[in-house]
Amino acid sequence: MSWVKSVQYSGEDVFDEDADDINLQDKEWKYNMKKRVKDGYVDGIDHGKEASLQLGFNMGYREGAEKTIAVGRLKGVISAIQCWCQFQRPDNPIPASVADLLQRVVKHEDYIMEAMRMGLENPMPSVSDVSETMEDLAVGEGEMSCGGAGCSKGSGCCKKSSNVELGSFFFTVPGESLEQLLQCCMDIVSELGLPLELIQHLEQLKSATE
Amino acid sequence: MSRESDDLFDCIVMADDRFHVEGYREGFNEGTRQGMIDGRKHGASHGAKLSMEVSFYYGFGITWKCLLQNNVDAKARKRLKALESLLGLIQKFPHKDPQFENLQEDMEKVRAKFRQVCSLLNVPTDFSDYVKSGGSGGMSF
Repeated sequence: MSWVKSVQYSGEDVFDEDADDINLQDKEWKYNMKKRVKDGYVDGIDHGKEASLQLGFNMGYREGAEKTIAVGRLKGVISAIQCWCQFQRPDNPIPASVADLLQRVVKHEDYIMEAMRMGLENPMPSVSDVSETMEDLAVGEGEMSCGGAGCSKGSGCCKKSSNVELGSFFFTVPGESLEQLLQCCMDIVSELGLPLELIQHLEQLKSATE
Repeated sequence: MSRESDDLFDCIVMADDRFHVEGYREGFNEGTRQGMIDGRKHGASHGAKLSMEVSFYYGFGITWKCLLQNNVDAKARKRLKALESLLGLIQKFPHKDPQFENLQEDMEKVRAKFRQVCSLLNVPTDFSDYVKSGGSGGMSF
């Protein structure tokens, strides 16, 4: 380790006279320096977390929000159709195809949430990107006390790296695909003779998910 | 002699700092990595839930708008007006931006508007809860 060199540098034979003493000092020095590294590490972890938590949250938020738009809309559409059927034909039961599709969409929603959670549990594809971000963050270490006195909400400090791109995470949602569910919804709209505009809206959603 | 001991002293002080910085750097990198992963996970869950809810309202609103648009009676017009207002509110709402200042406030406005729409449509007020609870298996009619 480099501290050994620094001791040897001015040591030479002067210290040889008292080898035991040196050994003791040696150990103490080693111990103290190890402790310094450890203390630094603990401080670093805290500051690193402070500096990146919000950044990670913001990034994840956008990703998560993006991935549930289509399924959320589809659920809204099919729910509205279900209500409509209840009003139009109060004496008939809701068509089985409608109730069934709603359940499948809700299930798909759960699958998305679960797959996303799992995907972020082990975000392997983005590790190298993360390390790049770490370097970006470490550049300004002097002013890294984010969340401290210098960093009021909305100040530049945390935003500094907010446009750092991390690799997007990939996950596969089990079960039916959203395209299949959308297609199924379009079929129902046609079967029930509902307005064509609805099909157009679903087509838009479909092309957005491809 | 005094110069030598000064050098030694400097070495010690600097080493002290250097080891702290060395540990700090390593810790900072690890902390950044952990913070990024934890933050991202929480963010994704929040973003997904909120976006799902807003999108649900939008899909619901746009469907009713399609279903009602050819009706000309006063009741339908009133309903359509409320639906337009709900859709407009959602379109203006940057719900995908976690740094948007009025995220919570605007979300409440959207929810309130949705409740108003439901009441105008005579849809039960617990409708959206029923839809949500469908996800956890508590499907009840």
